Amino acid sequence: MVVVVDDSAAAISQYEASVRSLEVDIQAFRSADDAYAYLRENPADLLFLDIVMPKKDGFTLLRELRALPEQREMPVVVVTSKDYAQDRALARDLGAREFLLKPLRSREIRSLIERYTGAQLRPISEDGDP
Amino acid sequence: MSPCYLRFWGVRGSYPAPFATHMRTGGNTSCVEVRCADHVLIVDAGTGIIPLGARLVEQDAVREVAILVTHYHWDHISGLPFFEPAFTPSWTLRFFGPGNTEMEVAEALSEQMRAPYFPVETETWLADVHYLHAKDGTIEHGPIRVTPFHVHHPGTTFGFRIEVAGHTVVYVSDNELLFLDAPIDQRLEESDLDTGEHELLVQMKEEAKRASLQPFLDADILIHDSQYTREDYARKRGWGHSCYIDTVNCAIDARVGQLYLYHLDPSYPDTQVDALHREAQEIIRRRGSALRCEVAREGLVIPL
Repeated sequence: MVVVVDDSAAAISQYEASVRSLEVDIQAFRSADDAYAYLRENPADLLFLDIVMPKKDGFTLLRELRALPEQREMPVVVVTSKDYAQDRALARDLGAREFLLKPLRSREIRSLIERYTGAQLRPISEDGDP
Repeated sequence: MSPCYLRFWGVRGSYPAPFATHMRTGGNTSCVEVRCADHVLIVDAGTGIIPLGARLVEQDAVREVAILVTHYHWDHISGLPFFEPAFTPSWTLRFFGPGNTEMEVAEALSEQMRAPYFPVETETWLADVHYLHAKDGTIEHGPIRVTPFHVHHPGTTFGFRIEVAGHTVVYVSDNELLFLDAPIDQRLEESDLDTGEHELLVQMKEEAKRASLQPFLDADILIHDSQYTREDYARKRGWGHSCYIDTVNCAIDARVGQLYLYHLDPSYPDTQVDALHREAQEIIRRRGSALRCEVAREGLVIPL
């Protein structure tokens, strides 16, 4: 399972479009609180995490998640427009594997998912769609 | 004086500027008092909170204040070690700032008062200290209602949308407005984008613009980071502050009523601040906007 937290509807649409060709499920949230409620109960293979969101920011969510024993090792890719050296350091301290500048291209999203989850391309169906 | 008002106690960013050439604007760092009858809300605890504290202990009507801190950079907390109500029995201080727990907020506020940085620790405070929590995203202090939101500045940094006496006051001391556009524009220029991805990137850019304006929309008063000239911003891009030109344009786009140019660079003397103000007025005139724009000057009181 790949989890995405981003307050941008267009960004979430891009993640969803990007993974259609991969054998992986995706769960997307537009708020940190909703993502926390889900991740407290469910494992994830990879988390794409935005930082600047209206109520709770991505760093706060990541601190909360790292306090959960089952989420201490979850691979996290921070994807943000907030490109400050201190934020890169904070993401690293919180165990994020990558810190990438928004927006990602679809091919980059697929490549990250393949790298961190081992997801393979979905078999082609009879009508030609993946 | 009106029972409800807003007063600037410190308007400089980065460090205090106690220079004769700066005094018409003021030299203290960030601090604004929002008062409604006997309810006092203080936003940021830069050196401006020192004279405010001295004024507060001289009166009897108020013995409790809420202090909201946008973040913990020095220019926003360095007045706290000299805030008289903290060292006075019978006072109650209620703090709010970035942090997952009360302990994190307490540590961030008290660290600057530990050895070897300072001789007197927060443990010597005589005031009752409490911490505020945002319930359903808002903080209430008497009739004053505050909604924190996140802004573009290194580390977790808040802006505050404050509802008081029928007015909406938005306080954003540190925010780099221009950080959003460039990466999306660069992506849009890449040659191998298909139609679907191009459309999504255009939508992302529109969403990012809307999201950046959202906290300011239709505010009666916007107090916003205006630290740099265009030339200084070009040299200090990525430091987490705005050029005043972008601040003025943002205020116009967000249909703000009154803008105060705030968190002014401490190296700018009054004459330079006057020049920024004149240029800001010219931008407003050229765009045909009804926005009113003033420099946030230390001691300025705005009745609400």
